[in-house]
Amino acid sequence: MKLYRKLPGYMNLWTFLSLFIVILILLPNVSILLNFFTQETSNWQHIQEYILPLLLKNTSIIILFTGILTILIGTSLAWLISAYDFPLKRFFKWGLILPLAIPPYIAAYTYNGILNYTGTIQTILRNKLDFTVNQDYFDIMTLPGAIFIFTVFLYPYVYMITRTFLANQSSSLIENARLLGGNAYTVFFRIVLPISRSAIVGGVSLVLLEVLNDYGVVKYFGIQTFSTAIFQTWFGMGDLNAAIKLSATLMFIVFSILIIEKLLRSRRRYSQTSAKVRPLSTIQLNGWQRWIAFSYCSIIFGLGFLIPFIQLIDWMLLTYRKIIEPAFVTLIGNSVFVAFVGSLIIVTFAVIIANFARMHQSFIAKTSSRITILGYSIPGAVIAVGIITVFIKIDNLLFGVYESVGMQPSLFLSTSLFMLISAYVVRFLAVGFNAIESGFDEIGSKYTEASRILGMGITKTFIKVDFPLIKGAILSGFLLSFIEILKELPLTLILRPFNFDTLSTKAFQYASNEQIQEASLASIIIIIISGIAIYIFHQVLEKGPR
Amino acid sequence: MNNRFFIISIIALLSILSLAACGNTSEDGDTSEESNGAKGEINLYTGRHYETDQELYDQFTEETGIQVNVIKGKDDELIARLDREGKASEADLFITADAGRLHIAKEKGLLQEVKSDTVNKNIPDKYRDEENNWIGLTKRARIITYHKDRVNPEDIQTYQDLTSDTFQDKVLIRSSSNIYNQSLLASLIAIDGEEGATKWASGIVDNMARDPKGGDRDQAIGVAAGEGDVAVMNTYYLGKMLNSEEEEQVKAAEQLGIIFPNQETTGTHVNISGIGLTASSKNKENAIKFIEFLTTKSAQEQFAKANYEYPANPDVEPTELLKSWGEFKEQELNLTELGENNDTAIKIMNKVGWK
Repeated sequence: MKLYRKLPGYMNLWTFLSLFIVILILLPNVSILLNFFTQETSNWQHIQEYILPLLLKNTSIIILFTGILTILIGTSLAWLISAYDFPLKRFFKWGLILPLAIPPYIAAYTYNGILNYTGTIQTILRNKLDFTVNQDYFDIMTLPGAIFIFTVFLYPYVYMITRTFLANQSSSLIENARLLGGNAYTVFFRIVLPISRSAIVGGVSLVLLEVLNDYGVVKYFGIQTFSTAIFQTWFGMGDLNAAIKLSATLMFIVFSILIIEKLLRSRRRYSQTSAKVRPLSTIQLNGWQRWIAFSYCSIIFGLGFLIPFIQLIDWMLLTYRKIIEPAFVTLIGNSVFVAFVGSLIIVTFAVIIANFARMHQSFIAKTSSRITILGYSIPGAVIAVGIITVFIKIDNLLFGVYESVGMQPSLFLSTSLFMLISAYVVRFLAVGFNAIESGFDEIGSKYTEASRILGMGITKTFIKVDFPLIKGAILSGFLLSFIEILKELPLTLILRPFNFDTLSTKAFQYASNEQIQEASLASIIIIIISGIAIYIFHQVLEKGPR
Repeated sequence: MNNRFFIISIIALLSILSLAACGNTSEDGDTSEESNGAKGEINLYTGRHYETDQELYDQFTEETGIQVNVIKGKDDELIARLDREGKASEADLFITADAGRLHIAKEKGLLQEVKSDTVNKNIPDKYRDEENNWIGLTKRARIITYHKDRVNPEDIQTYQDLTSDTFQDKVLIRSSSNIYNQSLLASLIAIDGEEGATKWASGIVDNMARDPKGGDRDQAIGVAAGEGDVAVMNTYYLGKMLNSEEEEQVKAAEQLGIIFPNQETTGTHVNISGIGLTASSKNKENAIKFIEFLTTKSAQEQFAKANYEYPANPDVEPTELLKSWGEFKEQELNLTELGENNDTAIKIMNKVGWK
């Protein structure tokens, strides 16, 4: 005990655990990133000369517009739902998260299926009204089309995190502003936006990372971005080195954005001062205003969920006889199992790191919180190969152990679910972390400091004081990770054990053969399970203490 | 509230445990057979995702008692996984839908020779690797479709015709990230040399009706919709469209004619789906049995029937639909050249601005 006391203040269990997790996350990435320091290849010159400018252009346009649009839609919806009452608001509260349940690449195929020449809309126009349209107006496979898909299916990140934040913490500031005579616009732009900045940034950085990572949508739409180029360089040209350089360029962009934002935010921190956190009181909208609010929510909900969902159901009715089989029950079991275990580990790790990072404003603490994002910013396939490398090393090291327990030396870990779940953790830690970090941001440090001054240790403070306060944030972190894993594709595809299928690999199996109609059943089940998850956690959040 | 939260957590945990229990039993079942090999098992990595392939595997298990364990993935990533796993890999077999990729796997030393008279008898030399490192199972031709009303088939007899002035802004083709296009260009590099291939690719880019996008089916639909007049696609996609559940897809496909390009000259580009025996295979005997099984007449018939591909075994007839399109002359080309030229093909595409 005495020895423990002598250690510097920051050397405690939280520190050790955090560093341990950070190393776990770094390991697979480092095994790949080491390639960065090798000699430039002739391929890299080729890339610089011919495709890099195009990649930069396309990627920046997509990021910029998706970023702006998701912020606008996400925060405006969060504000509407938190501050006003209008028809069906209780439904929209969680319904507006539902687009997150649809994997963007499925959405891309589905929207093309609705809009193209053989699609529902054009077919009706042509066959019923004898009206043939200009294909250009119905072409979604364009740069703006990709931005549309990303915006409409990823804005819930911003919406969700911002809304949780507004509901729990903003009441005193906003009500004061209202009392002082601020109108709706002043309140929104001068109070809501600034105070929820960290929540918005948390949400939008998830959106952007997801976009940078996406391979399915941009490949299908024929748009060259960093992720398509990384694949082409690595697999097509067989040049891992140049692919890593591309990855590194991408990561450089990501980190620059995050750092610039952090600098701009500088020291502005909003800490809760009142002991009582009250929900924001809502204003009843009247007359035309309520219908505008209602229509706005309906349009977004329709585009992001209802329309593609109905199309998928229509396709399912066409094809289910051919593809339904008892094995679908196993698929559901597998999907839910990996998603649940993965998310559980993710939130545990995220809480540990987030708590460590806010306790210590040291360099290590700050860095470790940024490192969580590493796995989320690199394309899935790159991480996958890093993970395989690490696991095979571990298995080789463990050959002796395997023998001593009477097993044949084999790739035990790397052919088990252990590898897949670890990969999920590396990949989606950022998702859980961002939610939980903004939860901590939201409660500030007043309570924690009080508790520490009154003599409680960090761990005890966490259990008695912090945990009850951030329970909501932990749940939303869990929910987001759960849905992410449920619809995750590249890692699941390559890292799964033999004979292990999930709903998303099943959907991909058909989609990759250009049989989107046949992919509908598995997609619908993914959507329904995610939908149930969204609903349950919404209920828990709603009834929880604020 | 606290109670409710905990009850939910407990229910959730219980459901995990029960699922885990189910999951474990099935996994144990798989691994226990590994050690003795009385009946045995084989482990397969495959880049083909057709439901009907699974039916063939099941049939094999039924006939021989040998269990087939499968990981389905994307071809390139499976190669990367094999590569990383090295000698320790559990995989015995690797199936992919592109000869170029099989060649890449071979070059990386991931495959080994298949010694089997049955296989050599069933599959002609030209669909096998020179050292029998991989064996072709099915063929697909990359053909040109045209709109029956708007195009005179006389004008479009070769891949080179696609670059003629007649089809200015009329050509629909997928993006350069698509392996089928990479292999097509790789074959042209082998036949016409790098310069000729570059000229061709650049002519294609000039004649493109729109930026490349979508899959093969989307190109065909584009022709039906009037966005372009001619499109490049694999045969089986047209087969699938003609047999689609969706009436409109069938209607679109019916407007299209089909050309096997370069019949008078160098022949139509053909690619294969093939299988390789991994260098690390630990169940070699069973794995070869499996390859032999896939080349048999009955398996080949099923392969071909299900996915509108051409069987690699010449004794097996293609389906009626394919027969109705007639026989055709294939490129005289060793398929390994597709793999050798893949890198160059991608660079040419980047240079000429093929998106």
